[in-house]
Amino acid sequence: MFRNNYDGDTVTFSPTGRLFQVEYALEAIKQGSVTVGLRSSKHAVLVALKRNADELSSYQKKIIKCDEHLGLSLAGLAPDARVLSTYLRQQCNYSKLVFNRKLSVEKAGHLLSDKAQKNTQSYGGRPYGVGLLVVGYDNSGPHLLEFQPSGNILELYGSAIGARSQGSKTYLERVLKDFTEIEDVNELIKVGVEAIRQSLKDETLTVDNLSIAAVGKDLPFTVYDGELVRPFL
Amino acid sequence: MNHDPFSWGRPSDETYGTYNNTIASASPFPKMNTQQPIITGTSVISMKYNNGVIIAADNLGAYGSLLRFNDVERLIPVGKRTIVGVSGDVSDMQHIEQILSDLEIENNYDNSYADDEETLKPSYIFEYLSTLMYQRRSKMNPLWNAIIVAGVEDDKPFLKYVNLLGVTYSSPTLATGFGAHLAIPLLRRVIDREEDIESTNLELAEKTILESMKVLYYRDAHSSRKFSLAIIDKEQGLVFKKGLQVENMSWKFAKDIKGYGTQKV
Amino acid sequence: MTSIGTGYDLSNSVFSPDGRNFQVEYAVKAVENGATSVGIRCQDGVVFGVEKLITSPLLVPGKNRKIQTIDSHIGCVYSGLIPDGRHLVNRGRDEAASFKKIYHRPIPVDALADRLGQYVQAHTLYNSVRPFGITAIFGGVDDVKGPQLYMLEPNGSYWGYSGAATGKGRQSARAELEKLIAKHTKNIDINEDDTDNKTIQLKVRDAVKEIARIIYLAHEDNKEKEFEIEISWCSNEETQGKHKLVPKELLEEAVSFAKETLSHLEDSDDSDSDDDNNEGSATQDNEGDIVLE
Repeated sequence: MFRNNYDGDTVTFSPTGRLFQVEYALEAIKQGSVTVGLRSSKHAVLVALKRNADELSSYQKKIIKCDEHLGLSLAGLAPDARVLSTYLRQQCNYSKLVFNRKLSVEKAGHLLSDKAQKNTQSYGGRPYGVGLLVVGYDNSGPHLLEFQPSGNILELYGSAIGARSQGSKTYLERVLKDFTEIEDVNELIKVGVEAIRQSLKDETLTVDNLSIAAVGKDLPFTVYDGELVRPFL
Repeated sequence: MNHDPFSWGRPSDETYGTYNNTIASASPFPKMNTQQPIITGTSVISMKYNNGVIIAADNLGAYGSLLRFNDVERLIPVGKRTIVGVSGDVSDMQHIEQILSDLEIENNYDNSYADDEETLKPSYIFEYLSTLMYQRRSKMNPLWNAIIVAGVEDDKPFLKYVNLLGVTYSSPTLATGFGAHLAIPLLRRVIDREEDIESTNLELAEKTILESMKVLYYRDAHSSRKFSLAIIDKEQGLVFKKGLQVENMSWKFAKDIKGYGTQKV
Repeated sequence: MTSIGTGYDLSNSVFSPDGRNFQVEYAVKAVENGATSVGIRCQDGVVFGVEKLITSPLLVPGKNRKIQTIDSHIGCVYSGLIPDGRHLVNRGRDEAASFKKIYHRPIPVDALADRLGQYVQAHTLYNSVRPFGITAIFGGVDDVKGPQLYMLEPNGSYWGYSGAATGKGRQSARAELEKLIAKHTKNIDINEDDTDNKTIQLKVRDAVKEIARIIYLAHEDNKEKEFEIEISWCSNEETQGKHKLVPKELLEEAVSFAKETLSHLEDSDDSDSDDDNNEGSATQDNEGDIVLE
């Protein structure tokens, strides 16, 4: 018989040096609907599949704007994402107010990482149960980051998190060479939409369940919902 | 109405009698912060030119009218493209110096672009300092300084001023303290408006600044002959000249000055 | 694994009857599975290197930096749980800043080691926290003692090293470090005061190449996984006492040096550098659950 005694809290290491509570938090991401992020040398794009609780309910927001140059999409516990995005908004404001400076995407990633790490080393709390794709355009160009509840942050050309995200990832890996060269933001969005299709099961993309965001040099972070996504269906 | 601020916000003596300070072993005064600077640095002068900015300040730290220290460096480099020139209280300046050094170290933490795209720009440093100065004045505890931030940003000259009141402004020529009265008219002979920056080269700008430093040494009793000068040029970067001296002086005019000391007019 | 099932290994700060704190030992396991980190103390400074596994082709090459700067003259690299490493470095930065505020000079490396050691040790004392899942190698040059290198373990103990390695490939890396340092040491007399670091003849510029070679060698057991390498240094001669990543050209030179020496090694079919690295995975099933005896 198997029994795991080492997964009760975040302050217990397993005999092999693993933190099960943190690993379970990573599982929570897979419960959320899929979201895809990708970037070229000019733009960064987010594409997300929204879910509704039932026929009559509205769709859960998947993309959150943090500043004119920065935003994120989420997979997992949406309330946790709101905590993290509010934190990023505060940090963006602080940077603007005190330094007249855009918060760099790299710095944003480190801030999230350090905040998440705290929840994994002390008793009483739990790790965040959400994965984020953070995109932004700063002084060094467009960036895409993947955030995990463990506090790990990765900078990628393309990524996908959430249910069945492996399909999108595999697709992005295959077309990596092509999409990093794309100049036109709409073309880049199309690649993102195509990627997210690889993760669909029963769903079909509609104006109601597709959410898109893009950011670039002369393009502030903009979310496209509803009728605005029709051209990409 | 009693116009003495020390009497504000307390029961009036006419109604309640004199307040007995010994009851709560209270101070007869409200809480007080800095009321005056102690060791002071005099003017900082600066101007833009077609390829950058130039800024100068002497090396004196005065204790009232006593010329107490003659090796005070009041031009603080921050990063590769900014100079912060500070006049006023020297100990407050040293505090600012530490803050700026911490700022630079922090900017290098985990910053893969620290050497170029995400380096500290003059505008970031100025925004920080002006926030700091305004915050301190709002706490009624000002840093007793007038500061000029000079640098090059996006290949354009940057020059802005902030002082102990949190007041900020910008101009193609800037000076603090006595320099605002004595040097600015001289600097404006060369650059009167924004358009004049383009037609002013480094050579002319440097000559003008040197000339102004000479006039300041002539007329400002709390100035020293020794000074530092920094140029931030968009091609050459930061050129820091230390231990310069006011040269080719002529004190002939001094004998004509009347109206001070024991002499009878 | 006599610890399992006794109940003494479920909480931090609890001694087992034979006087062990199992949670700290488990934290060490997290380190032993981490990517290899290496540090060398040279005549004129210190050098750090780390292996970065490429877990996805979508990762941006050259980004996702691992080596960090604690103070402008002190660098740090670690193996294990990377976010824990960031936590430790943040603490190091606070300590360095507070030291500077009080004493108006940069923190000496040994003073920092002491403070970080205390901080990590404190995380073994309470059941409200867990130990750090990292072993950190840090060091730099200071005015008092010149180049110094320390390695700090999850239990809070730290030692000064002339060459340190941790993570998955530590055993082969340490064997190489011993050979390298022996080769470049004039007179091995451990009783002699070596604060000037005179006995080590190796310069940082050469150590950069050696570190690349050692990391490539330590990666041999893990051959199927692709990886990048990151190297930083801190030296009075090369970086004016600042901790910096090595320039791109030097890194490329070091990598090609490493690849070249490695291919020579394979030709001659050298097999003595292989140690047993597969400890501690026997009693774990596919799900990562632990088999109870």
